[in-house]
Amino acid sequence: MLGLMTVDSAGDLAPAAPATKEELLARVAHGDQSAFGELYDQIAPRVLGLVKRLLVDHAQSEEVTQEIFLEIWQSASRYEPTRGGASTWILTMAHRRAVDRIRSSQAGRDRDTKIGIRDLAVAYDHVAETVEVRIEHERVEKAMTRLTQLQRQAVSLAYYGGFSHSEVADMLHIPLGTVKTRLRDGLIRLRDELGVAS
Amino acid sequence: MSSRNEQYPADLSGAYALHALDADDTATFEAHLAESEWARIEAAELSDTAVALGLAVAPVQPSAAVKAKLMSLLASTPQLPPLPRAAGPDPAEAAASAVAPTPAPSTPGLPGTPPVTAGGVSTDAPSAVTDIRSSNGAASSPHGSATATERAQVRWFKRPAQIMLAAAAAVALFVGGTVLGQTLNTNQFESQQASGLAQINAADDSQRAATTTADGQEATLVWSNKLGISAVLVDNLPALPSDQDYQLWYINGEGAAPAGTFDSSGDSTAWRVLDGTMHAGDQVGITVEPSGGSDQPTTNPIVAFQS
Repeated sequence: MLGLMTVDSAGDLAPAAPATKEELLARVAHGDQSAFGELYDQIAPRVLGLVKRLLVDHAQSEEVTQEIFLEIWQSASRYEPTRGGASTWILTMAHRRAVDRIRSSQAGRDRDTKIGIRDLAVAYDHVAETVEVRIEHERVEKAMTRLTQLQRQAVSLAYYGGFSHSEVADMLHIPLGTVKTRLRDGLIRLRDELGVAS
Repeated sequence: MSSRNEQYPADLSGAYALHALDADDTATFEAHLAESEWARIEAAELSDTAVALGLAVAPVQPSAAVKAKLMSLLASTPQLPPLPRAAGPDPAEAAASAVAPTPAPSTPGLPGTPPVTAGGVSTDAPSAVTDIRSSNGAASSPHGSATATERAQVRWFKRPAQIMLAAAAAVALFVGGTVLGQTLNTNQFESQQASGLAQINAADDSQRAATTTADGQEATLVWSNKLGISAVLVDNLPALPSDQDYQLWYINGEGAAPAGTFDSSGDSTAWRVLDGTMHAGDQVGITVEPSGGSDQPTTNPIVAFQS
């Protein structure tokens, strides 16, 4: 149904495949703590990776990761498999919480704005540990090259930098309306390149 | 909320998917979502696209302590029940949820409990109010508790207006809009509640205080002074008749500030993250109030915590 589900399940097709994240979430919704532990093992590194990309500080990123997993435990019953894969649900929540932390804390305001500008391309400083991650990385990096440079810059600042659209407007000295347009057009282009459709 | 965005809310879809909107713009865009299926489809697709950006980030292994702490918190962390009906774009589903007994918009009920079932508790509840209060006084050091309760009642008057703003904003989420909008908002409210409780539990200065009601129900206050938020959890709190709600209060030198209402099913853990901001040393109280809550407490607290 969703393009990303293919990516999700592809990673689970290893021999002696463990339970899928979707199955685990369903068990978590019924209070299964061992399923929660297994789900954590499968996806916590991705959650922390993303959160740390935005927050930079490791200890604070681990704290937010903990919050995210408590929220997964509490709201697992709200996950709807028909709307997408479990990774999609979890990473959406993770990004949201990382952004919330940036907006609510002094730590966010203290971050050097260079963090956002530093690596406008999809950052990847070392070789991927898994084939799944590497494939996804290359796929996204390729799709990103299809955006205009201005779109790529705005999308990266917002997603990887965690900056609000008005912060992006300030940083780039462009009108807010222009930022909105770049973010939307950029994501639509990415969607089409990645073949994400419902 | 600017007229600019109300005029072209669809322009916000990209920023929304990237979590780059502030609260006002988010509300504007979600009102737009509630009205347009086309917009919902685009929002879902762009949100999934954003996830692809997240999947391209190199994983980082958390330290073992993170998992250990999480696992130790699970038993005391209540889970949300499934939604009565999914807020899907299907008109049949929307119609079904119009009929389904979802919690009333202004009193969205408790994340951990289904809507109140009216039972023969209408006479029990008021007596429980006095029972619990006097028994609390008797159970622990009578003098100290009585003093705390007295203080709580004396302060039961004025309330700071600015704290009300937050509560009013939360209530505003639930007024107006379509049935679908309300279902989305109920889900959003519950998600916010779950997130609030998760934040408190994960905070490095997370604290808790426990007490027991007259009927042996365990009541727990968890809070973080750093975050300025708290949550109350009560096991097996009796269900109230439909014309009454439990109401939470922050009590300090400036008076009692309403901090949200909730229901209880009577047979599970009722809990709610309080509206407004907690200040170090605030007391937290629960009263039984007419449905929808009161501006000022009208009954004695059934439980009062000293943070």
